[in-house]
Amino acid sequence: MKTFFNLPIMRGLRWQIFGTAAGGLLVAAIRALMGLEAFGPLLFTEPSWVVGALTGAIAFMFGVGALDDWLKMAAGEAVAEEHHDPPGWQKYFSVSYDHKVIGIQYTAASIILIGTGGLLALIFRTELSRAGLDFLSLQWYNTLMSLHGMIMIVSILVGIAGVMNYLVPMLLGARDMAFPRLNAFGFWVVVPASMLLLGSMALGGVDTGWTGYPPLSVRSPIGIQMFFVGVWVAGWSSILGSLNLLVTVLRLRARGMTSFKMPIFVWAAIAASIISLTATQLISLAFQMVVFERALGMPFFNPDLGGNPILFQHLFWFYSHPVVYVFVLPGLGIISELLPVFVRKPLFGYRWIAMSSLGIALVGFVVWAHHMFTSGMNEYLRVPFMYSTLLVAVPTGVKFFSWVATMWQGRIKVETPMLFVLGGIFVFLLGGLTGPPNATVSTDLHLHDTYFIVGHFHDTMFGGYVFPFFAALYYWFPKATGKRLNERLGKWHFWLMTPSVVGFTLLMMRIGLLGMRRRIADYDPALGFDFTHLLITIFGYLVFISVLIFLYNVYITIKRGEPATGNVWGSRSPEWQVPSPMPPHNYSAEMVVVGEPYDYGRPDAPPYVIFEKQESAQ
Amino acid sequence: MKQGLKVFLILAVLTAVEFAVALLVPSAFLLGLMATAKAGLVIYYYMHIYKLVAEEEITDRESYAYKEGTNRVGLWLFLLSDFFLFAGLLISRFNLLGFTRPHLNQTLGFAVTVMLLVSSYFMNRAETRFKEGDLAGFQANAWITLGLGLAFMLGVVAVEWPLAAAEGLTASGSAAGAIFYLMTGMHAFHVLTGLIFLAIVLRNARHGVFAEGKGWPVEAAAVYWHFVDVVWIFFYPALYLIGTLI
Ligand SMILES: [Cu+2]
Repeated sequence: MKTFFNLPIMRGLRWQIFGTAAGGLLVAAIRALMGLEAFGPLLFTEPSWVVGALTGAIAFMFGVGALDDWLKMAAGEAVAEEHHDPPGWQKYFSVSYDHKVIGIQYTAASIILIGTGGLLALIFRTELSRAGLDFLSLQWYNTLMSLHGMIMIVSILVGIAGVMNYLVPMLLGARDMAFPRLNAFGFWVVVPASMLLLGSMALGGVDTGWTGYPPLSVRSPIGIQMFFVGVWVAGWSSILGSLNLLVTVLRLRARGMTSFKMPIFVWAAIAASIISLTATQLISLAFQMVVFERALGMPFFNPDLGGNPILFQHLFWFYSHPVVYVFVLPGLGIISELLPVFVRKPLFGYRWIAMSSLGIALVGFVVWAHHMFTSGMNEYLRVPFMYSTLLVAVPTGVKFFSWVATMWQGRIKVETPMLFVLGGIFVFLLGGLTGPPNATVSTDLHLHDTYFIVGHFHDTMFGGYVFPFFAALYYWFPKATGKRLNERLGKWHFWLMTPSVVGFTLLMMRIGLLGMRRRIADYDPALGFDFTHLLITIFGYLVFISVLIFLYNVYITIKRGEPATGNVWGSRSPEWQVPSPMPPHNYSAEMVVVGEPYDYGRPDAPPYVIFEKQESAQ
Repeated sequence: MKQGLKVFLILAVLTAVEFAVALLVPSAFLLGLMATAKAGLVIYYYMHIYKLVAEEEITDRESYAYKEGTNRVGLWLFLLSDFFLFAGLLISRFNLLGFTRPHLNQTLGFAVTVMLLVSSYFMNRAETRFKEGDLAGFQANAWITLGLGLAFMLGVVAVEWPLAAAEGLTASGSAAGAIFYLMTGMHAFHVLTGLIFLAIVLRNARHGVFAEGKGWPVEAAAVYWHFVDVVWIFFYPALYLIGTLI
C-alpha cells in the first residue's frame, strides 16, 4: 500500500489537489483585496476555479516528474541520455521515455476512459429505456450525456496515440520517437485533463452536450469551466503527440524506406497527425473564448454587445469535423495493415490507399459547415459545403475498393483480429452510407438533431475506431507481452459486440427518421418509441459486457496465457521478425528495407526488411 | 553591408510605407499584401526557413548535427501549430468587426511595432555573432533584444491597455474590446515566453553550456522570437490600420 501511494502518478495527483487549492486561494486573495467576493457557493468563485484548474494541471506535471529533465536543461545542467525505468509494473505508473511503455500507458488510459464513458452512457440509457423521467434529474441527464461524448472523444484520441506510439517507431526501425521527453509529457497531461473532465460533475455538471455551444454554455454551471479547461489541457497531448509523430516519420525511417515503402499504417498516422497538429488550436481557441466570456465578461458570443455565437460554431467545427478523421484514419490504417496478413495476398492499390488517407485529411479541412446548415449562417455557404462534404466519399470509397480487391480470391484466415477487421469494414460501411444524407442540405434539414445522426455517428466511430482498435489489441498483444489472447473469449467478445452495435445504431436511425430528437432526457410515449429505446439500451449493455469479456481475457492471459514469442500471424512487418516482447531499444541491429511491405503469397519475393549487424560499432 | 542590416532596412521602409498607405489609400488588400511581404522577409532571412530543406550528408543519426536538424523540424511544426491559433484570432477579428476597427492610439501602436521590428534585427545580430563564436557580441545583442522585447510588452500591456480602457474600449464592454484584448493578450503572452526562453539561453550561454557547435538553443530562441514578430506584423495592421473607425 505504501508503494502505491509513493508511485509518481499518486504524487502527481496529490500535487494537482494542492495546485488547485493554491491557485484558487491566490485568486480568492486577489479578489478580497479588490473588494470582490472571495468565495462562492461551490467553495471558490468561478475565476478561482478556472485558475485553480490550470495551476492544478501544471502542478501535476511537476509532481509526476514529467518536467524534471527540462528543468535541469533550463538550469544548464547535464541530462542523462539514457533513462532507466523502474522494474516491473511500477514503470507504467512513472514517467518513462520508452515509446513502448508510453504506448501501453496511453492504451490502458484509453481503456479506462472508454469504460468510464461507457458507464455514463449506460446510466442515461437506462433512464431512456422507457418514457418518463425515472431516476435522473434533467441536469444529471445532461451532464452524463455531455460527459459521455467528451470522455469518449478523449479516450479515442488517447487510444489512437497509444497505438501510434507503440507501433510507429518499430515499424520505421527506429529506437524511439524523435522527442522522448515530449512524448512522456504528451501522455501525462492526459491524466490531469481527465481529472478535470470528471471533476466537472462535482461543480454542478455540464448541460450543453459535448459541443459546448454558447450562449447555453455561458449560462451553464461552473462545471462547464472544468470541462473547457480539461479539453484544453488534453489538446496539448494531441498537438505535441502529433508533432512528435510527424518528426519521427520525417527523420527516423530505416535505410531504404522511401515514402511508398512505408507500412500503410504510417501513412494513416501522418494524415491524422497533420489534422491534430493544426486544427486542435481552433477548438482550444473557441473554448478559451467561452472561458473568458464567462470569467471576465468578454462578450465574444453575445449579440447584444456585438458578439456572434455563430463564430463559435465555425471555430469549433473547423476542428471537430476533421477530428473524426483523426479517429478513423488510424483505424482504417490498421484495417489496411492487417488485411493482407490474414488473406495472404498483397495489399491492393498501396499508393491509392496512402494518397486517400492524405486526401481525406485535406478535404476534411474544408467541410466543417455541414454541421451548421440549420445554424443561421450565411445561406450561400450551404451548397459549397455540401459538395465538399460529398467529395470525402471518393477517397473513402477508394479504401473500400482496395479492401474488397485485397480480399478477392484470398485465403482468408478468420482469427480474432481478422474478425474485428471484417466487423470494422462492415460497420464502417453502414456509417459511411448513412453519411451523405446528412451532408445533403435538403435531407439534413430534416435529419439534423435527430437520432439518425447519433446512429450514423456511432457506426462511424465503432467501425472506424472501436473495431480496428480491438483488432490491433488482439493482433499486437503478443508483441507487447509475449502471450497470446484467448481465441475463444475473443470470438465471444466479437459475436456479442457486433450484432449489438449494428442493432442499436440501426434502431437509432429508425426512430431518428421518425422524429426522435437527440440529447433529450425524455420523450412523448405517444410516439411509440418505448420498445425501441428499451432494445437500444439492452444492446448498449451487451456491448459493455462484451468489453468486460475482453478485459477478463487480458487478465487471464497475463496471468496464465500460453507463451507466443514468435511471428504469431506470419507477418512480413519488421516488428514480428524479432522475438516478443520487444527489448527497450527495439532492434539490436540496423534495419534495412529491401523488399515490398505487403508481398504476401509470393514465395520468390524478397523479405520486407533485413537486419544488418554493424561491423564496428559507431 | 551585412545581410541582416539590409533586410532590416527594407523592413523599416516597408513599415513606413504601410503606415502611409493606411493614411492615403486604406485598402485591406494592399495592407495584407505588405504584411505578407514583410513576414516573408523575416521568415526567409531571419528565421532561415531554408535550413529545413538544406541538403544534408549526415549519415550518423546520433550526431549533434543530425539531432539539430530533427529539432529544427520539430520547432517549425510547433510554429505551424501556433500559426493556426493566431490565424483563428485573425479570422475571429474579421468575423466580429468586419472592416471596422476600434479607436486606438496610433503613435503608440507604431512605436511598439518599431520596437519589436528593431528587436528582431538585434536578435538576428546576436545569432550571427554566436555562430561566429563571438560570445561577448552575442550577449550584448541578446541583452538589447531582451530590453526591446520587454519595452514592447510593457508598451502594450502597461500603457496601451489602460489608455484604451480609459477611452472606453474595455474587455467586457463590447466584442471589439474583447477581441482587441484577446489578440494583444495572447500575443503578449507569447512575447513573455520568448523573453523567458531568451533569458534562459543567455544565462546558459554565459555559463558556457553551448560549447563548440552545440548552439541549437540559441537558434531556437531566435527563430521563436522572430515568429512572435511575424505574428505582430499581421496583428498590427489588423488592429490599427485596416478598416474604418467604429
Ligand atoms: Cu462533420
